[in-house]
Amino acid sequence: MWYASGMTVLPMLEIKELVKIYGSGANAKTAVAGISLTIPRGSFFGLLGPNGAGKSTIIQCVTGITQPTAGQILVDGTDVVKEYKKARTKVGLSPQEFNVDIFSTPVELMDYMGGYYGIPKEQRQTKIEELIARFDLEAHRDLKFQKLSGGLKRRAMLGRALIHTPDLLILDEPTAGVDVEQRRDLWAYLKELNEQGKTIILTSHYLEEVQYLCKDIAIITAGKIVAEGTKEDFVTKEGSLETAYLKIIEASKTKTV
Amino acid sequence: MSINWIGLYTMVRREVKRTLRVVVQTLVAPVISATLYIFIFGTVIGTQISAVAGVPYINFVFPGILMLAVINASFSSASSALYFMRFTRGIEEILIAPFSYLEMLFGLVGSAVMRALMVSFLILAVGVLFGAVSLLHPVLFVGYVASIAAIFAILGIIVALWAESFEQLQVMNTFVITPLTYLGGIFYSITFLPAVAVTLTKLNPFFYFADGIRFSMIGVSEASGLVGAGVIITLLIGLGILIVQLFKRGWKIRS
Repeated sequence: MWYASGMTVLPMLEIKELVKIYGSGANAKTAVAGISLTIPRGSFFGLLGPNGAGKSTIIQCVTGITQPTAGQILVDGTDVVKEYKKARTKVGLSPQEFNVDIFSTPVELMDYMGGYYGIPKEQRQTKIEELIARFDLEAHRDLKFQKLSGGLKRRAMLGRALIHTPDLLILDEPTAGVDVEQRRDLWAYLKELNEQGKTIILTSHYLEEVQYLCKDIAIITAGKIVAEGTKEDFVTKEGSLETAYLKIIEASKTKTV
Repeated sequence: MSINWIGLYTMVRREVKRTLRVVVQTLVAPVISATLYIFIFGTVIGTQISAVAGVPYINFVFPGILMLAVINASFSSASSALYFMRFTRGIEEILIAPFSYLEMLFGLVGSAVMRALMVSFLILAVGVLFGAVSLLHPVLFVGYVASIAAIFAILGIIVALWAESFEQLQVMNTFVITPLTYLGGIFYSITFLPAVAVTLTKLNPFFYFADGIRFSMIGVSEASGLVGAGVIITLLIGLGILIVQLFKRGWKIRS
């Protein structure tokens, strides 16, 4: 629990002893092995790790795409399994893969998603116009998703994730395939969102992106957290996040061996 | 939490848009098939056949022709929509949204029923043109069409969850739905059949589907309306519970 002025302030995300095992018997594969994590409200949190470390699985457990095998996840104090409907309204997801109908336009994607979240038409249209303008999608608003460039696709996905103004925004590799200029623009927007109080979880293989944006960081390998702290903890000790990250990953490999 | 009405409406609206996006496949093709059936059974063969159950042959078979189109529209809408959502991972849009498992069922079934109703009204219009239509109990007609469409939408969902290839998507249609439909008395009266075949036909739920629609349209029935309603309601509830359980377990949609 977090306390401020004598009042209890719930963390935005609490993960307690989360386990996710895919398959069963001889084919069982542990993707997440008992992770606990607390992310305070207003944090910009970086989740780092090599491919297959379990980052996307954690995100999928939080958003309801995957069912946890054991443990508990609370979003703003709401259990994502027991009170899943309420929990879903608090989270917005921009996933790593384009999980969309490729024949839909950016406007349609946002409109359908807003509808799914129960946002009334007028409110939805206002929000769509705001997001279309913010992500500079005006010229592409009625183009099919499949016709968009990689950067435009990412922006459309981000718009879809923000349509219901979630308290917690989860970004799984949001700038993969995005050019430098657009990436900088996106960073500025994410900073702005975070400064307005939005809690953001970011996974990325671009460590300079994480170093620039995130306040708190956890590093995961083989389904376990191997390091956790503020950005300063990592950067001050090793000079850069990249150096710290590589050392930690190397050390975790040695331990495993 | 309260019912997500806007979400449910959005699911149906999206499917209607998808239906209109491929209008030739979803609406024009079934109407052309039904028109050919009506022309052949009404004008070509029908004029050579004496009245069946006291009504002209085309009036007798028209409800069955309509039912065939309804079944196909509903089944293919639900199965293809969900299968493609699984295939493209678009299902994640539904999974991360605030839908209960029952709402997911209603949204997917409602979308398929909407397409089936669109097809049925278009075929009704064709029937009117050919003089093959009467509609004695319109409310009952809509009730039967919607219920039967809902049953086949649920079957479509089951197949879409189970299938791992486009070929498997067609299995139930080819080996279950088509034979049972054609053997369910849509083109003939069961009075034409020997006693054993009558008994077997009465074990076929599709017989009650066609009979119900026929009664609502021309007032002719060869089965007990109560038994028919019982079969439809039992299937709807039983299959509905099964799907909600499958969604709850996340079978084939949550890893």
